[in-house]
Amino acid sequence: MALTQETLQAACHRLVLPTNRHIPWQDTLEDQLNGLEGKDLELDSGEWLLNGRVLSALQAQLEERSCRLLSIKSCNPLTVVSANALGIPAQLTTPQLANSLPSDPEEQRAPALLIHRATLRSGDHLKARHHVLLIGDVNPGAQISAGGNVLIWGRLRGFAHAGVEGDLNARITALQLRPLQLRIADLVARGPEEKPQPGLAEEARIVDGVISIEPADPRSGLPMQELSADSNNQEH
Amino acid sequence: MTSNSRTILICSGKGGVGKTTLTANLGIALAQRGSSTVVLDADFGLRNLDLLLGLENRIVYTAQEVLAETCRLDQALVKHKQVPNLALLPAGNPRMLEWLKPEDMQAIASMLEQRFDYVLIDCPAGIEDGFKNAVAAAREAIVITTPEVSAVRDADRVIGLLNTHGVNPVQLVLNRVRPKMMANQEMLAVDDVTDILALPLLGLVLEDEQVIVSTNRGEPLTLNGTKSPAAKAYSNIAGRLQGEDIPLLDPSKERSGLRATVRRLMQTKIF
Repeated sequence: MALTQETLQAACHRLVLPTNRHIPWQDTLEDQLNGLEGKDLELDSGEWLLNGRVLSALQAQLEERSCRLLSIKSCNPLTVVSANALGIPAQLTTPQLANSLPSDPEEQRAPALLIHRATLRSGDHLKARHHVLLIGDVNPGAQISAGGNVLIWGRLRGFAHAGVEGDLNARITALQLRPLQLRIADLVARGPEEKPQPGLAEEARIVDGVISIEPADPRSGLPMQELSADSNNQEH
Repeated sequence: MTSNSRTILICSGKGGVGKTTLTANLGIALAQRGSSTVVLDADFGLRNLDLLLGLENRIVYTAQEVLAETCRLDQALVKHKQVPNLALLPAGNPRMLEWLKPEDMQAIASMLEQRFDYVLIDCPAGIEDGFKNAVAAAREAIVITTPEVSAVRDADRVIGLLNTHGVNPVQLVLNRVRPKMMANQEMLAVDDVTDILALPLLGLVLEDEQVIVSTNRGEPLTLNGTKSPAAKAYSNIAGRLQGEDIPLLDPSKERSGLRATVRRLMQTKIF
């Protein structure tokens, strides 16, 4: 694929990995790096999964050309997690679909529902712009946050924040809700002290200005009509 | 020359939960079972694997000289006298931390892999450079933790990092289990820990005063033939690592009555 180098700011150059997944990005990297010696780079890794080992190898390769990797943009949540683990600031973006016309750029930027399949371990932080569905546990010390609802098909034992941008109707639902702390919009609540009854999915939402936990209502949760248009595009 | 050598990282995140003790004892147990084993001290800053094995006074060269190519690998390896199958590659001086790169660790590990069945890497505590170096060399890992919230939290963080580094499989050893406290619910139960960490349990090691005695004598438990519960646990871990099916110990069935206490006292070696 065509290589793209554009100057965002005077000092920071953008390095975009090829979107064609049949050609390993390593093949074209040397070419792409030509003429970028000594520059500060921002990496857009697209859908590529770059694990910690690959990322540190890449960092070393960049160092040879005295380039610095300042930040990473990626559509792959695992890449974002590994980058954060290495201390590189990383941001999760939405896949740019080749054949879809971005009619409304605001709407196109993030998926309406981010589906992530993993266990979030202590220190991990999963952020989603709209709703997020996590298939796995949120362990103590991990964080999950979303602009919309947070749905966890698993146990929530860490921090959860729904409605990050102030949506008071956002909910946090989990198969087992035992969080250290819950936040919905600007409200903060500590997790319940007593053990929850087993086998009952629970949901936290705002009732009369305070966060309260109740058995999950099967009719609430995801606004399905909002999602149906988008769900075909998700590959996770 | 072994083609299917296993390089295993022993790590915990938190310090003082028993990484080095496990490395030393597991090394001895594996070597006694007939596998050629090398233990590599990756804790350059605060090395003490040599102390536990009682090999401190026999070190001539270290990993540092091997990397600098001022000595051959077999000159630096310290063989254990009683267990000739076991060798130690000592850590260099603490200044090594400043220049050691993950590639250096990989180079050392691949040299060792050509000569040993098992390469056990004793990882430093923490998740900084020392950990990153050690993790680069490892294929699989054993995470050791104690039933305490802080140790479990750190172990969880480490497991996440191991996953992002593509280390697989990762297995769990739960150290310093006190059956009586677990029964009284004063300590996290085994299930609580495995629930959070979601890893296969490779072994349970009971709290055992003999560990301290043996550490101070520089004579690993598995070596000196005591029937202490921890020694048994370590050799069971070695067995499970080699694919044997040994049932896990059930802390609730551990005897805590007077007779067991007396028996334990009788087995205690004081000198």
